[in-house]
Formats: sequence, C-alpha cells, structure tokens
Amino acid sequence: MTIAGAHAGAMTGLRRLISTAMARDLTAFVLPGASVARSMGLDLAGSPLRIVGTPRHANLLIVVGPLPPGLRDAAAVTYAQMPRPRAILALGAGDIAPLPDADVSAPLTRAGLRSGLADLRRVIAAGAFRADSGEFNAPALEVRVEYTCPMHPEIVRDAPGDCPKCGMTLVPRETASDGHGGHGGHVMPREDRPNPADHAHAGHAQDAGGSGAYICPMHPEVISDAPGKCPKCGMNLAKAEEVESHGHGHGHGHASHAPSAHGDHAGQDDKAGGSGAYTCPMHPEVISDAPGKCPKCGMNLVKAEEVESHGPGHGHGHGDHGGYGKQQDHSGHDGHAGHGGHSKAAIDGIEPHFMSMVEMTKDQPRSSDGLQMDWIKVPFGPFFPGLPAGLRLTLTLDGDTVAASDATSLVGATDLMDGPQMRVADFVERLATMMPLSPVSYRALACAAIEVAAGVEPDHDARRGRAAAVERERIASHLNWLAEFGLQSGFLWLAARAGALQLAVQGADVAGIATQAGAIRRLSRRVQAAPLMRMRLRRIARIGKDAPASGPVDRARGGGSDARTGDPTLKDLGFEMRVRNGGDALARLRLRCDEIAQSLDVIAAAGRIAVPQVPDVDRVSGEGEARIETPRGTASLRVKLANGKVVEADLDTPTDVNIALVETVTAQQELGDALSAVASLDLSPWEVRG
Amino acid sequence: MSELSQYAILFGLSVGVIGFVLSLFGLARAIGRARSEPGKDVPATAGTLSRDPVWVRYHARYAGYALLFLAFDMEMAFMYPWAVVYREEGLIALLDMGVFLAILFLGLLYGWSQGALRRQ
Amino acid sequence: MSILVVLLSLAAGAYALAVIERWAVHGHLSLTGPAWAALALMGRESLLAHKSDRLFFELGPVLLLVAGLMAVAVIPLAPGLIITDLATGALFLNAALAYVLVALIMAGWGPNGAYAMIAGWRFLGQFIAYAMLIVMPITAVAMRAESLSTVEIVASQAQLWNVLYQPVGFVLFVVAAMGLAWLPPLDLPDATGELAGGVEAEYTGVRLAVLRLARMVIILALAGATVTFYLGGWLGPWLPPWAWSAIKILAVAASMLSVGRYMPRIREARYLALSWKLGISLALANIFVVGVIALVVPI
Repeated sequence: MTIAGAHAGAMTGLRRLISTAMARDLTAFVLPGASVARSMGLDLAGSPLRIVGTPRHANLLIVVGPLPPGLRDAAAVTYAQMPRPRAILALGAGDIAPLPDADVSAPLTRAGLRSGLADLRRVIAAGAFRADSGEFNAPALEVRVEYTCPMHPEIVRDAPGDCPKCGMTLVPRETASDGHGGHGGHVMPREDRPNPADHAHAGHAQDAGGSGAYICPMHPEVISDAPGKCPKCGMNLAKAEEVESHGHGHGHGHASHAPSAHGDHAGQDDKAGGSGAYTCPMHPEVISDAPGKCPKCGMNLVKAEEVESHGPGHGHGHGDHGGYGKQQDHSGHDGHAGHGGHSKAAIDGIEPHFMSMVEMTKDQPRSSDGLQMDWIKVPFGPFFPGLPAGLRLTLTLDGDTVAASDATSLVGATDLMDGPQMRVADFVERLATMMPLSPVSYRALACAAIEVAAGVEPDHDARRGRAAAVERERIASHLNWLAEFGLQSGFLWLAARAGALQLAVQGADVAGIATQAGAIRRLSRRVQAAPLMRMRLRRIARIGKDAPASGPVDRARGGGSDARTGDPTLKDLGFEMRVRNGGDALARLRLRCDEIAQSLDVIAAAGRIAVPQVPDVDRVSGEGEARIETPRGTASLRVKLANGKVVEADLDTPTDVNIALVETVTAQQELGDALSAVASLDLSPWEVRG
Repeated sequence: MSELSQYAILFGLSVGVIGFVLSLFGLARAIGRARSEPGKDVPATAGTLSRDPVWVRYHARYAGYALLFLAFDMEMAFMYPWAVVYREEGLIALLDMGVFLAILFLGLLYGWSQGALRRQ
Repeated sequence: MSILVVLLSLAAGAYALAVIERWAVHGHLSLTGPAWAALALMGRESLLAHKSDRLFFELGPVLLLVAGLMAVAVIPLAPGLIITDLATGALFLNAALAYVLVALIMAGWGPNGAYAMIAGWRFLGQFIAYAMLIVMPITAVAMRAESLSTVEIVASQAQLWNVLYQPVGFVLFVVAAMGLAWLPPLDLPDATGELAGGVEAEYTGVRLAVLRLARMVIILALAGATVTFYLGGWLGPWLPPWAWSAIKILAVAASMLSVGRYMPRIREARYLALSWKLGISLALANIFVVGVIALVVPI
C-alpha cells in the first residue's frame, strides 16, 4: 500500500514510528470547503480529523463531491503546496485530474467517511515513506519567465531584449503560465529584494561588499570584481566610490539623501545645458553630439533640453521604481513630466533642484491619508477559510487597507441545459446539483417554473410541504453562514455549534426540527449577545438604499422585497417579511437570526415537509416563469417546454446582484473588516452566472 | 549567587536551547529532507499561485500610536527604579512622579484631541 | 539542580498545555495527542519559500523559544525553585518577552508571502497596544513589593494577594498578556479566518514544531507571570508550594486558552483605541491609587 505523495526515504524503524504518528494525527484541508461538505451532509468536524485553513499544515486533502472544472487548477496548486507525505481522500469525487489518483476513495456518506478514514490510516502508516516517490507536476504550476523593464513595468516581453521606450535591458521575472501572473504592470521587477535593513544602506555600497570594487548604481547588492554589466538591469557597473552619491539618489528616494544627490546632479546639470545635444536622463554628465546609448547605463540618449531639470528627478524616479505595486502606468518619465516646471524660487540652504517627496510622487496613486506607499495584489481564494469556496477575491492592499478589489467566481456560469432538449426530471436534477449550497430551493424553483409552463397546479398539501422544505433549507443555509462567519471572525464556538445544528436540521422531519428548535433559538440569541460582536460588525459593510441588492442584504437596510410576500401558501402559514434597519453587517446578522426563528415557526405551522417532486407533464408546450426566495435572495427561472421536454431556460440568481457590492463594501476597509464584509454578503459562487 | 553567574546561567540556557533546536533540525533532516517540486515553494495563498514578491513599504496606519508609545516607553524606563524605592521615599516620591505622569497624560490627551489616536 | 527541576516542570507544563489546548479547540481530551502530533511534524517536510529571507525565516521560531525560556527563567515555582533569582526579575521578564515582537516580525517578513507579512505588521500594531499595559501594572506591583525580584514580589503578597489589592492592574495585565501571546480574541497575527494561518502559515515540519513549542512556553511564562505578580505565586494553605504553583499556573493558562473561543476577534483599530484611551488612563490611575494605598496601609 502506498500513497502518491510519499516522502522520500526507505521505511526504517524510526520512520515507521513516524508514519504511525502521522496516521493518528490527520490534519485535513477540505476541497472545495467545509461549508459545501456540510451542505452535502458530511460531518467532518465530528470525525477525529483536524481541519486546517492552509494546505501547509495539512497532510490530507479531502475532495468532497465532484471537482468543478474551474477549481481543478486551484486544487492542483493546493496539493502541490502541501508538504510530503500527503494523501488524498476522495468522497464521491470521481475523476480529480490534474491531481494524482486518490489514495482512498469512498462514497459521499458518513459511513463512507468513516471507512475512508480507517483505510487511510492503514495506507498512511504503511506508505508514508517510500524510496522512490514521483514528482507532482501540473500545467497550473509551470513557471514562465517574462522580461520587463525596471522603469516601465507595463512593457512585458517573452524574450530578452531592450525596452522600446528607454532602451534599458529587460530583466527577467517569474510569473504563472496561465496568465494570472499578469499582475503585470505594477509589480516590482526586481527578484532579490534586499531586506529592510539594506534599504537604509542603499548608498553604502562599500560596506555591503567584501572584495568587489564595482557595483551597479541601481542595485547596490550586485558586486563584482571586474567591470561589466549588471545582471539585473543591464547597466554598466560602476566603481564603488563613484556610486555612493548616485546610490543615495537612486536608493529609495529618501528625502534626507536628496540634497547630496541633487548637489551632484545640479552641478552636472550646468554642464549638460552647455554644449552637446544629447544626454542620458539618468546621467546628466554624459553628453554626446549624436543619439545613441549611454555608456554608463545603456539607456537611449535624449535631447539635452528635455532633460535639464529632470536630472535629479530621474534619479529618484529610479529609486521609486525599486519596487512598487502600482495600479496604473506612471513610469518614471510620466511622473517626471509633471515635475517639469519645478523651477521655483530657490530656498536658502537647499539645493536649487531639490524636490520634496510630495512633489516627486505627485502623479502616483495615493492612499487615503495622502501618502504614497507600495501596493501589493493578494489573492484570497478560491479556498480561503471563512470566504465562500470557489470565490476568488483579489485584493490590492495598501498596507492592511484594501485599495481595490476584484471578485470572480470560479464555479459559476455552467450551462443550464446539456443539450438542445432535456427531460423534465433531468433538468430539475441538473439545476439542483449545480447549486450545492441550496439545492432544495432551486429544485422547488425548477418544479414551480415547469408547472407554470405546463399549466399544472400542485395540490394544497404539496404546496405546503414544498414551502416547509424551502424554509428548512433556509434554516440550514443561515446556520451554515453563521458557522462560516464564526470561522472567519475567530468565534470558534459558533463555528462548531452552528455547524452541528445545521447538520441536525438538514435532513430532519418536522418532529426532528422541533427538538432542535430550542437549541437553535438559544444559539441565535447567544450570537447576537456575544461580547465584542457589536464592536466587530457595527458599521461594517454599509450599503446605501439605492445600491441593487437581494435577499437579507437588501432587507437589512430597512425595506426591500421578499418573493414570499405574494405567496398565499406562506401567508396561510403565518409568514411576514422581516426587516432590519442599518444596512450594515450587524443588521444582516440579526436579520438572518430573525429569519431562522420565523422559518422555525412556519415549519411548525406546516406540519409536514415534502421535498419538491418533479411534476408529471404530458407532452405539452408552453412557457412559464417562477420566482422563489432562496436563502440568499430572489431567484427567478424562465423555462420553455416543447412536447414535454425543456428546450430553453434562463436563470437569474441573487448572487449575480450581490456580487457587485463587493467593491463598495471593501473599499478602504482594513483587511479584517473587508473580509467580514464580504462574508456578510453571503455570496454563493455557484450562483454567479454573469 | 552573584549577578554575573546568574547571567552566565541565562546565557548558557540560551545556548542550550539553540543547541536543542539545532539537534531537532538535524534529526528532522535525518528523517527526510524536503524535496523541491514545482509550485511547492511559492507561499500559499488559498489556491492561487502568487509569485509576486511582497517586500514592499508597508503602510502602517498606527503611526500616531507609535509616536506616543515612544514617549511612554521612555517614561516607564524611569518608573522601574522609582517603583523600587517608592515606599521608602514616601509622599515626596508620589508627588514627584505624579507630576511627571500628569504631564505625560496631558500629552496623551492632547494627542487624542488632535486625532493621533485613531486609524490614520 | 533546581534549574533541572524547573526545566523538567516546564516541559511537563508545556505538554499539559498542549493537551488542554487540543481539548479546548477540538472538544476531546487526548493525553497522547500532542506526542503523536510532534512526532508527525518531525517527519514532515520542512519547506522553504523560494525567495525567502532565510536568516529571518529560520531565526523566528528559535528566537521565540529563547525569549520564552528567558522569561520562564525568572518565574519562581517555590521558595528556592527558580532558575535565576535576578534582582531585576520583573524587568528582565518584560525585556525577554519584548523579543516576541522581533521574532514574529522576522517570521512574517521571512517567507516573502503576503499573508505572513501582513500578519507580522499587524502584530506590531498589537504590540503598540499591549506593551504599555504590561509594564504599568508591573510597576504598580513592584511599588508594593519594594523590589523587582519575582521572589520578593511573591513574598510581599503573603497577607493579601495582588489580585485583590490591585484588581484593575490584574485585568489590564491579563488582557495585555493575551495580546502578547496572540491568543484569541487578540490573535491578529495568526487569524485563521482572516489570514489563513498568518505568521504560522509558511512554517511546516520541524520548524512548525519549534514554533508551537515556543508558543506553549510563552503562554506558560505569561501564566506564570500572572500568578507571580497577582495570584500569590506559591502561597497557599495545606498543599506544598510547588503544587500550588502548578495548579495556579495551569488554571490561568487553561482559562487564557479557552476564553477566546466565545467571542469574535477584536479589530486592530478598536484594540489600539481601547488600549490607549481607556487602558492607559486606567493603568495610570492604578499606579496612583496603589501609590496612595501603599503609603497608607502597611501590608
């Protein structure tokens, strides 16, 4: 017995002991997420596994249900980032390419989980170490090297060469091969960033090196014994002593170093303004009568008049390019164009061409407090603990504040129809399996739409039973959301308790739900009264009254609509639309707790729960539309029947509406608040169809 | 025991801990060395590979608090010896330090009023 | 000799704490759980990110462990049972624990990963919040004891424990200690839901084992400090002093570990604001009040 992700080494005595230890201490990372696993009925928290939030701490990858095509690359990446020995447990997953074959497969049931874990323990204890274990590779992991210009990050080429704008040699940079590495224009081109201690010593090149006498003016850590070209930017290496003042100027734009550098350049500016028609933007002392390349750095020479007052600015511009995650193209030249006229009155004691940091960084994007700092683009998804699985949220972070956000779903937009026509039962089944987080609601929606199209009326009892089933799913979905929210905010008791209650409620009949009702009400009271909860959620993720929204997000701002208000069946059962004021995350939490309580009442009034049945349609044709209030908002489906088969279908989901709110609720928020905000929207990436 | 021997013990303890950690590392290495594979050495970011370096200037929003912290930290350095001789010195010590603390506290209040004590 | 006994009890205490933590987080009590987990971690690959700062990355957990041990070195478990009874014990404890900040920033910067780096800098914000609230209550305690030596501080509580003499200081110190050990609800550096592991995320294998051990040692050191400064150290009737120390330290550590499960994580901006506006004012008032009481009341 062996596992594909075994650690290299022959199985000796000590390793055998360690394999047994690993088999007893299983830490798992769940794909696509624990919330999806719970929705499918698996009780992972109750098993002896420990679920962790990062693949680095896991030795087991659990794939729950069939892996959607959009998540395969991410799954390969996740598996590749797990340290060996690593094993895969596939529960009802089928083909999981590009992952290697699952080490243990089991059906997607609780018994399957138990037997799968038992098998897994045996397999790991026997096969954690193996003398010859293969390497794991996948197309998603390949590295592609692209070449970019240090001064113009938007210039990207596949082969080495020169920058068309300034002539500098392009430097290599690693990126992912699937185009997601196109965080292109604003990522720093340098590969080896010196640690913070070095920043302050950018100019002290001599201290840094041992024997070298030649260093690169822009990269003080590049030291060589002989003259040549800098491997990073292509500039000619300069003698260490000469570079010191340049180093200050080129360092990182520290204002304190500016005067010395400017002093240098200022003196040389006069020379540049004299004879000679062409000069180098970075080295004003280089003067030539003909266009060409600067002998010092390799850049194309430009006409002298353009450069005159830009000399020191360019020096600092280079420093600034040392490594910023910038949003837009604002290469050194553009930025300096704005500085062209800094021929202001000279200040006593300061060099004539002195430029403050504020001036130098005038055209670069600023943070909300006016400072211009480095921004980085960080992905939060698709398998981020606490966020919905399948949602890739890419945040541009300015420190720990979100400057920009981009939310896409990797599991949405699947076709509703798998052919020109579908049997009614197949269509209903397909829609339900497409939405693993709320299958019952979508099943009810499909049945209702088909009934309208076929002109069939379900009887009174069936309608009540169906409404109760939808309400039961609403309770389960809100508890699922509470569990994920607990995980996201560190409220671990809530994560455990809400998850357990969700599993208890999910398949239960009316009597079972009645027994859990007391515990559920206590939970929702306790959540709302938890210490620090108000502080955590107050005024987070506020949306205005005019932003389009659906579901609890909409009704939490003091108004809104609910598709259940027009339904006579629900009115019989005592339904009233619940609303909360505030429009922030706290109001949404409270509203969802209110809705849970109300759904419990409705189910008690209904008396029986009946999963929506596929209607019996003869060979009729027609069109029909139905709307239903899913736990996340209003969904509407339009179907066209021809001869008893479904030929056309069109679905609108609430998440399509709500996902546009991600940008508003995360703007300029601290990272933790931004993630809470996204979590409070209760998005289901499976519903995204846009 | 003398102060010097106490610090010698502490130094020995640190060296011992470092030795212990190094021996643990050696043991782990003997059990099995890490194998480099594609994608494994990229920092984990929830399923998307992000090879961009993140060593950038971080925009810390707590700068106002940090400045006040410096002032108070210097104050605490003075308070340690003061606390040890306090009871011996009596009321005078309380008044002396009370004035110092009051001035610093006024500085804190001023900073608060000027908006230093908030997320920048 | 006493050094060896203290180190052994530290090892036993760290193991007991691991058992308690596992119980608090997962709900089932397993006495051999941490041993298996440690063995398993030793056997896993210890990965290094490809563009990491190797020195900082390696140094982080080691420095954390050294800092924790230095702090434990001045905690008295019984009269005479202490590794080094420094005359400036309380100050030394604070100084040693200041290295926790350095270690976590190194751990955050080292792997060149986004989550870790943000976690490291967030911890710096948390440090600015808790640092004063650790030092000021210690000052008040030293005022009563007329000494910075931890043994003297315990001895000064023979008639009344500091938790009753200076309750405000006790509360401030415990909250600040939880911030120092980054325990929930102040676990900004390794927030699972916000940063998928944060500073701990890039550590695997034996380095992760050292990091976790270091964290247990630091929590024990802080529980020991709380017991020494406020809960009377080894003082108590009937049982021998070392038993009282053990019971008190484990009880404090267990409550520190479990209280965070029942509330969400605090936001960094709120923590800073609360610490500096409410916390510092209370701490200064505490020093003043203790000063007055210490002059008036002879115990």
